[in-house]
Amino acid sequence: MHNSNSIDEDAIDAAITRAYGILPDQGPIGVFIHHNTLHSYQHLPFHRAIQEGAARLGAHAYMALERFHAAWKSGRIEEIDLDEALDDLPSADETLQLPLGLSRRQLRRALLVEHIDDQDAAGLLWRIRNGPSPVAADMPLWEAALERVTRGPLPTTKIASPPLRHRDALIACGARDPDIAVTHELTSLCSSFLDQGQAGIALPNRSEGFLMAVSLLFASGASVPRLCRGAEDDFRRIAIERTPAKIVIAAALDALGVPEDERKEYVIATALALPGWAGMFSRLERNPAENRAHCPISLAEFIAVRMVFDRHAAERSACEALLPTSWKLLPKQIPLPEPIATASSAFLLWNLARVAGAKPEQVREMNDESLATLWHETSIFHHGARGQVWLEAYESRYRRAILGAVANRRRMELPTHAQRARAQFIFCIDEREESIRRALEEQDSAFVTFGAAGFFGMAIDYVGLYDHEPAAHCPVVVVPAHEVHEQPVLTQLSWHARRAVLRDQWHGIERAAASWSRTLTGGAGLSLLLGPIAGIAAVLRVLAPRTSLDIRDRIETRLAPRPDTRLGGIRQEPSAPLSRAGKPMGFSLQEATDRVAGMLRSIGIVGNFSKIILVLGHGSTSLNNPHESAHDCGACGGRRGGANARLFADLANRNDVRESLRAIGIDIPSDTWFVGALHDTANDAVQCFDLEELPSASAAPFADAWRALEIARRHSALERVRRFESAPLGLSPDDALRHVEERAAHLAQPRPEYGHCTNACAFVGRRSITRGLHLDRRAFLVSYDPTTDPTNTILERILAAVGPVGAGISLEYYFSSVDLDRFGCGTKLPHNVTGLLGVSNGHRGDLRTGLPLQMVEIHEPMRLLLVVEATPAALLEIAGRQAEVRELVVNEWVQLVSLDPTTGHMQRFHNGAFHDCRIDNTPLQSVNRSVEWHGSSREYVSPALVLDGLDLRPLAKATA
Amino acid sequence: MTHTDLDAIQRIALPVLILLPIAASVVVGLLIMASSRYPSERTATRILEIALTISLVLSALVAIGATGVFGTAPSALVDYGALLEIGTYRIPAVLLADSKGIVFSLLCAFLTLLVARFSRTYMHREAGYFRFFIVLGGFATGAQLVALAGALDIFFAGWELIGIGSALFIGFFHERAEPVRSSLRAFATYRLCDAGFLMAMVCVHEVLGSTTINALDGSIDLPLWESTTIGLLFLLSVMGKSAQLPFSGWLPRAMEGPTPTSALFYGGISLHAGLFLMLRISPIISASPVVQVVGAVVGISTAIYAAAVARTDPDAKGALAHATLCQVGLILAEISLGFTTLALVHISGHALLRVWQYLRAPNAIHDAHRIGVHAVPVEDAQPQSVLERRVYAAALHRLRLDDRIDSILDPFMVLARALDRFDQRMRTLFGGGKDVDS
Repeated sequence: MHNSNSIDEDAIDAAITRAYGILPDQGPIGVFIHHNTLHSYQHLPFHRAIQEGAARLGAHAYMALERFHAAWKSGRIEEIDLDEALDDLPSADETLQLPLGLSRRQLRRALLVEHIDDQDAAGLLWRIRNGPSPVAADMPLWEAALERVTRGPLPTTKIASPPLRHRDALIACGARDPDIAVTHELTSLCSSFLDQGQAGIALPNRSEGFLMAVSLLFASGASVPRLCRGAEDDFRRIAIERTPAKIVIAAALDALGVPEDERKEYVIATALALPGWAGMFSRLERNPAENRAHCPISLAEFIAVRMVFDRHAAERSACEALLPTSWKLLPKQIPLPEPIATASSAFLLWNLARVAGAKPEQVREMNDESLATLWHETSIFHHGARGQVWLEAYESRYRRAILGAVANRRRMELPTHAQRARAQFIFCIDEREESIRRALEEQDSAFVTFGAAGFFGMAIDYVGLYDHEPAAHCPVVVVPAHEVHEQPVLTQLSWHARRAVLRDQWHGIERAAASWSRTLTGGAGLSLLLGPIAGIAAVLRVLAPRTSLDIRDRIETRLAPRPDTRLGGIRQEPSAPLSRAGKPMGFSLQEATDRVAGMLRSIGIVGNFSKIILVLGHGSTSLNNPHESAHDCGACGGRRGGANARLFADLANRNDVRESLRAIGIDIPSDTWFVGALHDTANDAVQCFDLEELPSASAAPFADAWRALEIARRHSALERVRRFESAPLGLSPDDALRHVEERAAHLAQPRPEYGHCTNACAFVGRRSITRGLHLDRRAFLVSYDPTTDPTNTILERILAAVGPVGAGISLEYYFSSVDLDRFGCGTKLPHNVTGLLGVSNGHRGDLRTGLPLQMVEIHEPMRLLLVVEATPAALLEIAGRQAEVRELVVNEWVQLVSLDPTTGHMQRFHNGAFHDCRIDNTPLQSVNRSVEWHGSSREYVSPALVLDGLDLRPLAKATA
Repeated sequence: MTHTDLDAIQRIALPVLILLPIAASVVVGLLIMASSRYPSERTATRILEIALTISLVLSALVAIGATGVFGTAPSALVDYGALLEIGTYRIPAVLLADSKGIVFSLLCAFLTLLVARFSRTYMHREAGYFRFFIVLGGFATGAQLVALAGALDIFFAGWELIGIGSALFIGFFHERAEPVRSSLRAFATYRLCDAGFLMAMVCVHEVLGSTTINALDGSIDLPLWESTTIGLLFLLSVMGKSAQLPFSGWLPRAMEGPTPTSALFYGGISLHAGLFLMLRISPIISASPVVQVVGAVVGISTAIYAAAVARTDPDAKGALAHATLCQVGLILAEISLGFTTLALVHISGHALLRVWQYLRAPNAIHDAHRIGVHAVPVEDAQPQSVLERRVYAAALHRLRLDDRIDSILDPFMVLARALDRFDQRMRTLFGGGKDVDS
């Protein structure tokens, strides 16, 4: 049976290699990192890539045509956008004349706008008979069309997707679905094998790998599912002979009669049949560090186990239905699809004739050839092509508006401020921080904000006070070279030691209670003991989520306050001992100086330091939310950026670092003080670090900045809650803050925040060109000053980091919202945390990857519009050097726009070169404060000018 | 207040607290049907919540009244005559607010209201929002009927409402195939087992002359074979509702529903309703040692089985479902052996604990970050011997209970599919190429 040769092993190898690329690449959900869902297609041009990728996964590449159509009806897409998108199609041959005097362009436009060729025949006829008739406008023409179509030729029927595996063919033949039994069996085996610590006992012998563990299980007499009977013999043999996975796969393919040349596709399709679990095998195999269970993991073994079950299930299903098992014969048994009904075709013809203005006689007299041409033209303008045109139009409308706003804003003459800023705030580039930055700027034009990737140049492995192991706080592409530990201050060392013991004991009790409650006696004891307490807890947590959490925190702080801590950011001696992972603990003075300088230069503060500078990392806290980490900072690798902000501030405050900075030309005045902080994007809380160190001279400026921040976070909360249907419009800022606090504390809240749902564009450039624009929390704002970067080295560094991170976020949201079931993970409500790896639907289902409905429901799926304040030449040069940026830009996975730093001229990279692009030149509407613009709406708002953010109200009023 | 006053109040309070929730469901349903647009989520939930709150308050008042603080306690038995009389057969309209009934009624009213409040936020914007609350109202009435029924017929009505609610919530996300399959399985199990209830009820009527709960006290005088038959038939019904072996297969699959319903049904009320039936028929059980032994064996074996599964289950809700089942099995054994008061306390504490655990089930990742994971099992600590592997596999595969049941149905399914294929072929042969309707 195991007489495989090298050829099919090659095919299997090739299939597995390909499967690595296609399968979802999402690690255990505890650390959620946004990435391009179709990353392995990134080397292809966007439209081609997503159409191919989606077809391979049986998913949609674009929003449903109905949604585009609704956007068209509502005016979200306008005539000129559609025109431009139609012109843009490579095959938009204007001159080509089609029958009835139609142009190809007319035909396509009709197909898009009138939505005329997927009518279901029965419904159509019913409506014609019972009204309102869709063809009432011209009955004679309808009769002519119906008559003409009846004479043929009919459109060729859509070829149903060819069967890829036995299962597809068996279902098409009406046999039993063999996958139901196999999926149940596989999901329980996979989840027990990969379990990261949720179950009391994991799959025995898992240190020998999946194939052996499963084989040993069945070899010791466990029963296989009834419908896979026969598999136990295979497993017994595998357990004895220790057959390698590829040979097992080859043997199963032999048994199923899959010919050599089809093996690759067959194996890929098999891997894709349960994409979530297969993807987790593929991910953990290639990233073993993410696997806490430390068992050897191999995708090939997963496929091997699956093939053994598949084979027997398929044989049984075929046998029951009296069908052949061999792959050479089975697909031939599939009945032909039913042809498209004449009524649907007649309706299409009727519509086209109307567009062409043709008479009934003309339609009757059409020859067979013309009719066939029409059918052909319709079929080549397929679903994918229509989605492509719609998406381009959809994006064009937003691009026009946003670029128009920037152009408008840039044309305004602004007085330059020479005086020292009242306070400076450095935020993450995250688009969720746009509103709080605007809310600060609106308070005083002397408040200045910056955006920098939220790890603030501090790529570290961070170990918090109670963490057991280091966690990388930096973009995923970087491997930190240093480790930084949070340490208690010396005066509290003994309290820390005691608290750590108490804490461990308490957590031990919590863990024990959780597992005891599942046992026979423990469950009984705890029911009587804890039942009433659980009842009270449930009432409090459900009726008063915010207050009850607050009280609990207060009790904890009272009983066991967290000791004060400092970060060990600097390594005093080069010979200081390394960490357990072999990394230096903290930076040397030189390294610290380089990082601080690099960061300050990158955002362009090299002079004009204000007295107080707040550095705010961000993270998000929510409960009952397996996707909690997806709301954390992407630039910190799906973790909270507080430690990075704190470290940056700590280093920048050190005298030795400042001295070294001075030596390289960055002179931080002695009265300037940095404060690190953490902004929680779910409840809009801000927590400052190390305020004990604040010099007394900086106390007043800090208090001033803090007051502004207190106001700003309330306004930001207010701007956020307008998107939540459950919050009434017109709340006061205080109530809005209370609302978001309650959201974050609520156990029943599936939408603690909308996360990156609103992301749409990114600006890399001086804040002064976007300041005062209401960007509706849709823009990543990266501070970059082209005037201080003649060699573009800073820009190159920024784009190399921001490009992939921004594109990753934007594309993950894109795919999850265009196909929530295949790319996203559906609604959260039935989600069940499995193996601490991810969520599955209910019981024994596939692992669901991507984002849930509750995170993407208000998203407008578009590619990231990346506007960079740099010349086209500079951008092309950088793209030439940075491979990942090149791939994203040249293949148009992001829409890159160059904004010339001196002239303000804007050009978009499209079809291989920079071209002028259409922008809206209508003057911007202006309001005094943001809330006047968005306050009464739950929808997206177009860009507007917020005058309070600028220092030119008299000027603007004069021009208005 | 005088005794008669209290009686009169109780007479009104009981039916109100039972029927108000389903009346609220009907009102919401009518609101939806009456206008072309859905009412606001707020309106619908408010109607339901008011009804459930009144129901809880009345239940609490009845409980307080029963303690005798208002003077003497009103009589527990409230007779409204007959619902239906055909010849000698009579469906008595009797409610029984004794201590067992009141405790269970309070528990049901409390948990239902809690879950309704939770779901107001949880279900927000979901397509089936209104369906959810309408079914919830029906369920609440069912639970109260079970708690306060004074006759088996009324009890059965509540029993069925709970069953229907359970099936509808399992299949809540009916756009996917798996929830529908699971829902059907639960429903079929209920149907099969409820046949036991129906037959038992007829038998009770035949041998005792009445189906009121109080009449069951007379079963002590029945011949052993009669009380055994009746007891076993009731037990069958309990085994279905409470997912006892060998009918445990549907329970983990019931986790397809939204989390709060898993909490309410399989942590809280539905699983325990079976046990409550056991409490109600305890005179029959004590009359037949056979039923006692069978009940204890079923309960204990289910408890051991479920404890083993709970240890191997790597998903949050599955493990919780089996942890719950384990205790339910244990309580079944307690009741079978006559420890009814202990059982009632056990039921109450257990339901509260599990509902809370279910509601927090999605927090597993957050908790793992906060309190750490109990050490990832070390290889040495894992079962390695052949016997241990077999036991592990038996737990992991849940004794292949579903598979065994399905194998009985296999021949019918094969035949049905063959007929379907034949039908399809005939359609293509004779109807191909024609319009669907011309």
